[in-house]
Amino acid sequence: MERKRFFSTFVLTAIAVMMIQAQEVKVPLRFDFYYSYEQVVDALKALNKAYPGLTSLDQVGKSEEGRIIWALTINNPKTGDPMSKPGVYADGNIHGNEIQAGEVCLYLANRLLTNYGKLKEITEVVDRNAFYIIPVVNVDGRAHFFEDANTPSTSRGLSIPVDDDRDGLFDEDGPDDLDGDGNISTMRIRDTLGRYRSDPQDPRLMIAVKPGEKGEWTRLGQEGIDNDGDGQVNEDGEGYIDGNRNWGYNWQPPYVQRGAGNYPFEGSGIRAIAEWMLARQNIILVFAFHNNGGMYLRGPSFKSAGELPQGDIAVYDYLGNNIEKIVPGYEYQITWKDLYTTYGDFTDFTNNLVGSYSMVGELFQTETETYDGSFRRKEEEGRSRFGEASESERQRLQFNDRVTQGELYSEWKPFKHPLYGDVELGGWVKLSSRLPHPFMLQDLVHRNASAVIFAARNTPKITMDVFEVKKLNGDLWSVRVRLVNEGAMPSVTYETLKNKLYPPDVLSVSGRNAKVISGGKLTDIYTGKVDYKEYKPQVQLCQVPGLGKIEYQFLVSGRGDIDVKFVSVKAGTKTETVALKEK
Amino acid sequence: MRKTVKPAMRGFFLLIAFLMVSSGDVSAIDRYSDPVTVNQRIEQIRQSSPALVKVHKMAVTPGGREMLMLEIGKSGSTMPAVLVAANMSGTTPLATEAALSLASRIVADRKMQEGHTWYILPLGNPDAFARYFQKPLYLDVANGTPFNDDTDELTDEDGYNDLNGDGIITQMRVKAHDGIWIPVEGEPRLMRKADAVKGEKGIYKLYTEGIDDDGDGKYNEDAPGGTDVNINFPHLFKSFGRRSGLFPGSTPEADALIKFAFKHPELAMVISFGKTNFLLSPPQGGRQGSYDTENIRIPEEIGKQMGLDVSRRYKMSEIIEMVQPMMPPGMTADESMIASFLGLGAVVNPMKEDLDFYNEISSNYKEYLKKKGVTAERFDPAQPEDGSFELWAYYHLGLPVFTMDLWGVPKPKEEKKDGSGITVEALEKMSSSEFLELGEDKITAFLKERGAPEQYNAKMAMTMVRNGQVSPAQMAGMIKQMPAPKSDGKKGDPKETALLAFLDSHTPGQGFVDWKPFTHPTLGEVEIGGIVPFSDNTPPAAMADSLLDLHLPYIAELVSRLPVLHLAEVKATDKGGGVYEIEAWVANSGYLPWPTAMGKRNKTPAPAILILEGEDIKILSGYKRTPVNAVGGMKSEKHTWLIVAPKRASLTLKLESSQAGRDTKRINIGG
Repeated sequence: MERKRFFSTFVLTAIAVMMIQAQEVKVPLRFDFYYSYEQVVDALKALNKAYPGLTSLDQVGKSEEGRIIWALTINNPKTGDPMSKPGVYADGNIHGNEIQAGEVCLYLANRLLTNYGKLKEITEVVDRNAFYIIPVVNVDGRAHFFEDANTPSTSRGLSIPVDDDRDGLFDEDGPDDLDGDGNISTMRIRDTLGRYRSDPQDPRLMIAVKPGEKGEWTRLGQEGIDNDGDGQVNEDGEGYIDGNRNWGYNWQPPYVQRGAGNYPFEGSGIRAIAEWMLARQNIILVFAFHNNGGMYLRGPSFKSAGELPQGDIAVYDYLGNNIEKIVPGYEYQITWKDLYTTYGDFTDFTNNLVGSYSMVGELFQTETETYDGSFRRKEEEGRSRFGEASESERQRLQFNDRVTQGELYSEWKPFKHPLYGDVELGGWVKLSSRLPHPFMLQDLVHRNASAVIFAARNTPKITMDVFEVKKLNGDLWSVRVRLVNEGAMPSVTYETLKNKLYPPDVLSVSGRNAKVISGGKLTDIYTGKVDYKEYKPQVQLCQVPGLGKIEYQFLVSGRGDIDVKFVSVKAGTKTETVALKEK
Repeated sequence: MRKTVKPAMRGFFLLIAFLMVSSGDVSAIDRYSDPVTVNQRIEQIRQSSPALVKVHKMAVTPGGREMLMLEIGKSGSTMPAVLVAANMSGTTPLATEAALSLASRIVADRKMQEGHTWYILPLGNPDAFARYFQKPLYLDVANGTPFNDDTDELTDEDGYNDLNGDGIITQMRVKAHDGIWIPVEGEPRLMRKADAVKGEKGIYKLYTEGIDDDGDGKYNEDAPGGTDVNINFPHLFKSFGRRSGLFPGSTPEADALIKFAFKHPELAMVISFGKTNFLLSPPQGGRQGSYDTENIRIPEEIGKQMGLDVSRRYKMSEIIEMVQPMMPPGMTADESMIASFLGLGAVVNPMKEDLDFYNEISSNYKEYLKKKGVTAERFDPAQPEDGSFELWAYYHLGLPVFTMDLWGVPKPKEEKKDGSGITVEALEKMSSSEFLELGEDKITAFLKERGAPEQYNAKMAMTMVRNGQVSPAQMAGMIKQMPAPKSDGKKGDPKETALLAFLDSHTPGQGFVDWKPFTHPTLGEVEIGGIVPFSDNTPPAAMADSLLDLHLPYIAELVSRLPVLHLAEVKATDKGGGVYEIEAWVANSGYLPWPTAMGKRNKTPAPAILILEGEDIKILSGYKRTPVNAVGGMKSEKHTWLIVAPKRASLTLKLESSQAGRDTKRINIGG
């Protein structure tokens, strides 16, 4: 997928150079610039090198263009193997252009590692969980976003060509960087019959003409030429297969879901990540970072899924309502209801097939780019009314002029177009609009990484207590076990139990010289009511609710020691050996 | 895990089994080929004509078996291709035989090699199929992927057990207070459910043969494996289904086939041998969920945002018109964008235009069978399953898909035809007025025969048809999705009765294991017996050759109906001043449309392209590369260009379609 250029561009402009500096990557990592794909890899390697005892680096898979997708695992081996702990997964940049999502993941890793042993809460959260961090999912997309000319919204999909205009050729006519400035901006042409005129307050903006008014401009769309000579401009650009519509849960074909790909997991990197995650079923918490809008979204992503089980909603609400406070201005929402319906979505996949609480963080709000003294504009002010420029756009231009000294906007300039003749090129540059200027990046990555750390504190935290061994008669003993969960998340999600994705947790009692005669859940500890299990009483299938407890009673015949064992896919294993004797 | 019977007893049973086999005819098991032999036969076919045949290793199954595909033809991907996939569920031995036989027939028949490439997958689910050749015999579509069926703490821990040592898993019946089964009147070998409303008390509980290996109170609830390859495809995939797999394409056999299909845009038709039969019973509609492009309800929350009246219904074209002005410059609103935005979902019923050719070919096939002297009626073939290969090939690839089950349990001849005299097939073809003319009595009788729920009475059906809420064809679709009607309660399942009659006459003593007492370790005194697995879908091997001779020649007929695109006429008209109008007629001389209506909808089939080339010409109107989006069967479509050309010029117009062929015509100007 070579991006054709009208002019050979060999130098990125000063603007881009300032923002993407050739930084030497050192730990602690810096967050005042954006990391290229190679720099992300360097950063992960540097963290791994600086913290060899706490981290390991995995090659999860390869992209269509052969770039490696890296994962950093943070785990303290002294507190156990990763699979014996709740797994916390965070990724970003599944859309190639949404680059600050990668920085949030890097910041999370950097924050956890550089403060391990210093801050009590971070030490505890690292000791108790295994963190899996994939900063860049769409590695090709990120690389091309940096290397090629783009708009803030392009280089989003996977590197799989699609014949958008159905002429038998693939990706043959995308936009072109006509002025060689590293951005794909907008083209406009003077036209008295056009539908736009310049905004009298800021002539850089175009506003729609009112009926009866004379026009000044016609918008010609993105910068580009008719590469394939078919009479259309930019009609068959990159892809488009959207990495976040290609997952194998509730997937629908492209005629239903744009960008779905021909089949689930057509993206080689997407499939590799799916398999990597399915091999780590301890993952109970997933964050996927995107831009933009300032939202934390939970599923379902489609209405017909119905509502999630009540027990899971309670967990999501607890996380979501707290995250809204950790990241001010961001709203906790439900994908299909508050955003739009999607099929083949990543977090639906992880919620249902990995069995994890899964949220999407939509990073950055353009309303924070202000020049009127307010920290953040109200949404209503941003809305453009018919025939008027939006106050929000005017503000952003002033923000560009006075706060970023013109870095974010490319002024209109004339250009001789081979098809249209005299046109003008201009508009918001690639590194604008959907991502914060680097001076605002530190705040964004810290608050959003803090959201993950807060959630990670609420993974299941189970303690087991054999709190009663009582002789009933002869060799017959009553053994009571209590499982307590101090985390907000249950030991296995309600969705997992509903779907029978895998077995619930297993509580078992065994002993060389002992036999479990009966056993079951103790439903009333005072009256001693027990739901006895008719078969195999020595094995009880259970779930420990979030911030709650469950109690079991076993009638054991025999003598000597017995082993009480709790095994959970997500919450690890607890064992206790007790003697059948009166305390 | 599977407990064995005591060694001494086993010896005795083996002896009996040996005597049974050696005294009877050649048993089916000896004749159909096991997965290893299937792969050997595939290799033999290749060796028989190495210049013509290639073998592709498609996948290694979870059970470690190779899944192989034959490619027959010299042209590779430059010719339209037919994909034949057989035995996707691994439980249809005759299907694999048919695919191998078809491959041999194509290799031996030059005519069949002309015009297309064949890709033939004789065995789509080798792991499951291996069970047919193992003892004990039982039917399971699962491949070798371990699967915890009962979501307990163990996986694959409680399979079937051959308690009576006859090498066959049948049933166990045990007298119980809470039994719901009683023997069928007049045929006590078969069981039916007691009807308490009619004062009948159940006697037996029924189990499959086996013990409770893991002591959880359940019998055979977690047999080894896995995923049914046949239902691991993305159309209507059933998440968390018992044999469907974790996600579409999660098992390597299905994954390989899906990827293969998208790497081969020249695939123009799919034929599948297995459980269903689209030739006898064309794909059916009547499923809820498919949206009507002419009648779309806009969800309230979206309607409000867009300021639309949500109480009325919209046409897709209207919505596109309304949305287009809101689009950012350079973006066009199209149906898929709108459908996904509104959450309208996928097509789940066959497109009407496609049903037209399905029904026509079905009648033609029935005529063909009549001409071949087939008079006996058979029971209806199975309906395709959600997530199945054949549904995916139609709905996602947009190809014409024909399936054959090659054999069905014959219907007993004496079946009386009094009653309504209406069949579902007849209903399907009726117009609304024809349906209403039947009258209430006949419709009442028909609904009763089909076991329609009581609240769904004739009056209601007639009102719905009259008001256009439902068409007779849609009603037929709904009826077909209902469980098969139970005829006379006391006679049990008519198909089982007919099957038993067939088995008694064709393979006496082999198709049914007579109920014999057995002392079960946990159930106590039981009887073991019942119909031998596979007897309802697999005829005795001795019948295989004649069945294949009967059905396989029809494949040639199907293939002859493939769409063929060509340039019927190309001409240039001098408009003066060096301007010429080029006119070209693209014709489809085949019977089938190119592509199917479903293919038009999903836009998966690669476009056909017209390429106009010539030195020193300039195209004033039209494009150098012009997509041809669809040409119906036996129809033509006109394309025109305006060009400026020098006084003498030679142009070429090329037509390129990977599915429906290529053509080139030269146009001379001023010559």
